[in-house]
Amino acid sequence: MGANIDLIFKIAGVGILTAVLHSLLKHAGKEDQAQLATLAGVAIVLMWVIDLLGKLFDQVKTVFRLF
Amino acid sequence: MEITQIVGFGLVAAVLVIILRQYKPEIALLVSVAAGIALFLAILGKIGAVIEVLHDLSRRANVNMVYLGAILKIVGIAYIADFGAQVCRDAGEGALASKIELAAKILILVLAIPIVMAVLDILMKILG
Repeated sequence: MGANIDLIFKIAGVGILTAVLHSLLKHAGKEDQAQLATLAGVAIVLMWVIDLLGKLFDQVKTVFRLF
Repeated sequence: MEITQIVGFGLVAAVLVIILRQYKPEIALLVSVAAGIALFLAILGKIGAVIEVLHDLSRRANVNMVYLGAILKIVGIAYIADFGAQVCRDAGEGALASKIELAAKILILVLAIPIVMAVLDILMKILG
C-alpha cells in the first residue's frame, strides 16, 4: 500500500514537471522541444503504469487461476 | 484498519488527478489508472483468501473442480474487462469500452458452455 502511494506521487510529480517544462519551453520560443519534453514525460509515466499493470495482471492470474 | 487507508489513498489520487487534468489530461488519466490498480492490488490478498476457502469447501463437498475453476475464471475475466472498460470510459472512449465488454461477454459465454452442457446432460438423464 505504502509503495503504491509513492508511485502515485512520483507520477503526479513527473506530470506537473512536464507541464511546467512545456510552458517554460513554449515561452522561450522553442515550441518543438516543448512537445518533445511532454512526450518524454508521458513516456516515463506510461512505463511505470504499464509495469504496475503487468503486476496486477500477474496477481489476478494467480488468484483467479486464469490461463 | 484497511478501509481508512484505502479511502485516504483514493481521495489523494482524486485530488492529484484534478490538479493534473488542467495541464496534462493524458497524465491525469494515467494517474487514475495507477491509483485504480494500486487499490485493487491492496485488496487482492483478501480475495485470494476467500477463494482458498471456496476451494476447501468444494473439495470437502467433492464438487467437481472443473466447475469452480470455470466460475473463478469467469469472475477474473469479468473483473479485468470491467477494469479496462471503465478506464476507457474515463478517457472518453465509450465505443472502445463497449467493445471490451462485448469481447468479455463472448469469452464468458465460451467458458460457460461446458457447464451448460453438463446441466443439459443431467436433465436428459433424469427426464429421458
